[in-house]
Amino acid sequence: MAKRNTYQEDETLEQEFNWSYYKRLGKYLKPYLRRLLVVLASILVANIAVIMGPYLTKVAIDSAIPNRDMGQLWLIAGIFLVTLIIAFFCMRYRIWAITEIGQDMLRDMRSDIFNHLQELPFSYFDSRPHGKILIRVVNYINTLSDLLSNGLINLISDLISLIVTLVFMFFIDWKLTLYSMVLLPILFIWAWVIKNKQRVAYQVLSNKQSNLNAYIHESIAGIKVTQGFAQEDNAAKRFADVSEEYRTTWMHAVKIQFALWPGVQNIAIMTTALIYFVGVNRIGVAVTTGTLIAFIGYINNFWNPVINIGNFYNSLITATAYLERIFETLDEKPEIEDAPDAFALPPIKGDVRFNDVSFKYEENGPMILQHVSFHATPGQSIALVGPTGAGKSTVINLLSRFYNVTDGEILIDGVNINQVTLKSLRQQMGVMLQDTFIFSGTILDNIRYGKLDATEEEVIAAAKVVRADDFIRHLKDGYHTELQERGSTLSAGQRQLIAFARTLLIDPRILILDEATAAIDTQTEILLQQGLNALLKGRTSFIIAHRLSTIQNADQIFVIDHGEIVERGSHATLMAEHGAYYDLYDAQYKMLQSM
Amino acid sequence: MNPYQWIWRYARRYKGKMWLAAILIIGNSLGIIVVPLLGGAIIDQVINQGHTERLPWMLAVMIGTTLVRTLMRYTYQILCERVGQNTLYDVRKDLFNKLQSLDFNFFNTVRTGDIMARMTGDMDAIRHFVSWVSYQVIECVLWFFTAVVVMSTISWPLMLALVAVTPLIGILTIKMSQAAHPVFFQIRQSFSRLNSMVEENISGNRVVKAFTQEPYEIQKFDKLNDDYKQRNMASAAVSRRYLPVLDFLASILTVIALLLGGYFVITKQMTLGDLVAFNGFLWMLNQPMRMSGWLINDMQRFSAATIKIRQMLGAKSQIPVNNADHYEKIHGTVEFRHVNFEYADDPTQPVLHDINFQVAPGQTMGILGETGSGKSTLMNLITRFYDPTSGEVLIDGKNAKDYPVRQLRDQVTIVMQDQFLFSDTIKDNINYGNRQADPGFIHAMADVADAEDFITDMPAGYDTVVGERGVGLSGGQKQRISLTRALVKDPAILILDDTTSALDMETEAKIQKELRRITADKTTFIIATRISSIRQADQIIVLQHGRIIERGTHDELLAKHGYYFDTYQKQLGALGVAPGEE
Repeated sequence: MAKRNTYQEDETLEQEFNWSYYKRLGKYLKPYLRRLLVVLASILVANIAVIMGPYLTKVAIDSAIPNRDMGQLWLIAGIFLVTLIIAFFCMRYRIWAITEIGQDMLRDMRSDIFNHLQELPFSYFDSRPHGKILIRVVNYINTLSDLLSNGLINLISDLISLIVTLVFMFFIDWKLTLYSMVLLPILFIWAWVIKNKQRVAYQVLSNKQSNLNAYIHESIAGIKVTQGFAQEDNAAKRFADVSEEYRTTWMHAVKIQFALWPGVQNIAIMTTALIYFVGVNRIGVAVTTGTLIAFIGYINNFWNPVINIGNFYNSLITATAYLERIFETLDEKPEIEDAPDAFALPPIKGDVRFNDVSFKYEENGPMILQHVSFHATPGQSIALVGPTGAGKSTVINLLSRFYNVTDGEILIDGVNINQVTLKSLRQQMGVMLQDTFIFSGTILDNIRYGKLDATEEEVIAAAKVVRADDFIRHLKDGYHTELQERGSTLSAGQRQLIAFARTLLIDPRILILDEATAAIDTQTEILLQQGLNALLKGRTSFIIAHRLSTIQNADQIFVIDHGEIVERGSHATLMAEHGAYYDLYDAQYKMLQSM
Repeated sequence: MNPYQWIWRYARRYKGKMWLAAILIIGNSLGIIVVPLLGGAIIDQVINQGHTERLPWMLAVMIGTTLVRTLMRYTYQILCERVGQNTLYDVRKDLFNKLQSLDFNFFNTVRTGDIMARMTGDMDAIRHFVSWVSYQVIECVLWFFTAVVVMSTISWPLMLALVAVTPLIGILTIKMSQAAHPVFFQIRQSFSRLNSMVEENISGNRVVKAFTQEPYEIQKFDKLNDDYKQRNMASAAVSRRYLPVLDFLASILTVIALLLGGYFVITKQMTLGDLVAFNGFLWMLNQPMRMSGWLINDMQRFSAATIKIRQMLGAKSQIPVNNADHYEKIHGTVEFRHVNFEYADDPTQPVLHDINFQVAPGQTMGILGETGSGKSTLMNLITRFYDPTSGEVLIDGKNAKDYPVRQLRDQVTIVMQDQFLFSDTIKDNINYGNRQADPGFIHAMADVADAEDFITDMPAGYDTVVGERGVGLSGGQKQRISLTRALVKDPAILILDDTTSALDMETEAKIQKELRRITADKTTFIIATRISSIRQADQIIVLQHGRIIERGTHDELLAKHGYYFDTYQKQLGALGVAPGEE
């Protein structure tokens, strides 16, 4: 069993700040680069139009009005209006285009992470609360939304104005320009200090968010237990704790984040003061009054984009904490993948061979299965019996390649299952798992989950075989009755019947039943068994059951204990051996006799 | 109540902080005005008039003002953020507590992912509103009125001419609000659907893989993912329609000021200096106008997000949680009198029909019946997960409805068919219902449930962390941990709903023997499909289609040659051959 993460426990944090995240982020931008360039062009046009404004005002105040030239004033107003109209259309275009680029990137990223999730093995899902996986696919990615749409565009447009302004400043007076750069190093140090602290703060915050999400998810999933044990108050207390941690971390993070702005603002004003001082006292510069005033004006133009870039920088650092988590998920190894030269498994005849198979979940973990070897010929039914936790379910999980064997090999029709595509392998296996999962949707949808193009008649036929037809017809909308996730409105037995029908509908070549009928009443079970026997002809099947009655007719029975096959043979031979199976049978028989 | 009044009921608890923030906002605004004025003074007095000796202190005031102003702004930003977080904390707490009190009917109809969306994404829209939008709105309003006042002292006709545009802006923002609201609601709904789908995919990952339906899942996801994008684009469409117009109108103020102001100057109704000063304050007027559209968007996002949250907060539980002043000890007599039950969404289909029985403290009742015959529902009526449609469930002679529900459940424990374990250590799972449980007692109960051995065999023993829902454990192990958990609670009434189905018969027999010993003074209900599980019960009922069709002890029922006898025969007959006879 792999090491598990719980809602109370933080996930590990990456220590190094990794610039490659941005490179990877850039990859998502690539398909939209052309559109982005068009948007940039529109911004450039809009910026020029907007820059015209103050100039036109200046002309009006400097010449048109003092000269009492109403005609020129009208002309200026007319030109002004034209620039506004240009800006208007640019803005219209930009709002749409930028949102689309941002949303497209988010969609691509979400899609990548979801697709990747589909390839991850059971162990990934088993080793952390589901709320923590969920938050990565939706919430974390949404936090990038602002950064990718407005943030990116503003950054570029700010960079442009910054450069333009700098050029102008140099043009007017290069010495004053150098003076206005004097304080920049302090700003860089300030930004660097904040970056380091902010990054860590947001990493911690993303963890706390994840914990909170995990706790909420689990609380909802386990609400019946909480209510059943009257533990609502305790749950509320725990929730308050997780929630409080989140709030505290949040406040800590924003306190750091918000500190950048006052720094920039103060350095800006000090720079202005410095220019006044230097200019007025003529320290190393000789400027006219007009130049000084104009220069001061440009300094404001210079700092506005710097402040904006500072804000962008802030959100970039924030986003990094989430990007890390997203890329971490994308980098998670699928473990169970098609081999590079994998081929599709041809239709299975049903010859199954385990050659000295051993299995453990992790490197240093305990052995779950040890040297299991057996051979099932096509059409045989194999029964696995033994105490719970002995490894019966593991045997069948390996057969579907939900886990890779640690040692040995599994052959189907003489082909090692590691050499074939997962899809071709699993598509031919009908696995009825211990816990039956019901999707939200109609009963019809649930039964045909494995074979989406099945007709209603096929679905009903499958339901009839497993004796589910009867109860389904009695439901409000029959086969079209809507079920909720996990089918909470059905009884456990009914869920098993639906899952059973689902398994049969795909017409599997190998059928695997893991305690498939435990919650089903005897009468229904017997009927089901009869229907099943007819279906099983010619198919290899594996059955795990505790009630020996259901497996007496199996062609081979394996008694599994502590990960090993301790006995094997048909019912008759095993009974004759007077071993573990005989004891099991004897005990059950005596128990029944004593009833 | 509108969304703003609603959120105010939460936020007003932090009025003190908000007042302080408001004062600081005003302080900051004054500071913003001071700096340009000082700049003007430097140009006039220092540069033009040559009072260079004044420069150092003027610069000092400039720097000092900015320092104070930025600190003020930083402080109120943090204050607003704090108020936002506090508000969020309270809303979230209320919602969580509400969820804890809602009944099964609610959870049967609402998807987990939907609730998750409310607790995460929707909450964030609220936070953004309280901690950011609120003070932006205040700032804007403040700018606007300051500008109006200052400008009217310079030239009130010019000011009036500019303000004349505001009704137009007002109309536009109202229209935009109306257009944006449904769009944002759609975004929230789409987000919720996406969330639900992913949540279900993660929960059902085993089935997805077993049936190799990854492509189908991806297809489902792509559809929702794209829908979410489209909904966001719909919002962009609204923005595209209104925001540029608002921006245009705001900018046109400059043109009007220039044209009309220029005319006033030319006709000598105003000096050029006044016009320059007037122009200097123009941004205070058009900035709020420019912002209005963006703020409307944020406000509508907030308003749309509150809808579902408030709906959930207002959901009525049919089984209200009332608090009791005193704790009533339950002895364990359970009586059903003419109990009928139907699910609210399907009243035509009786689930239980005219159920009558009585069980005395210390007795055990066995329940047998077909899949879906109403066995679990019957038990859910005792723990009041549902209330009967008609008839009465009496516990110690008192109607179950008259007990405070949590007090009742504290003494009636049910081991449910689908065992839910929390992702936590085995120990914390076991003492879930009784955190003060003595370790000795825990071990003793684990022994009874035959769980002690396999737990101590695990690498970390009782400290082993199990996955959510107990993934990684076998069905039988989960059942035994769940049973231990119920036993550690030490309830007066114990209900076992098919608790041993995944165990082999030997283990089951062992557990039953131990159970009988420790439940001697408890009322016990056992639902089972195997006769062996219930045959020693003091009374047994057989359910079929929601009715009791047979009742009695094991021997009495066998003598009846009915359903029970049939089942018995079949279970017995299945292993008809004695060992050694073949």
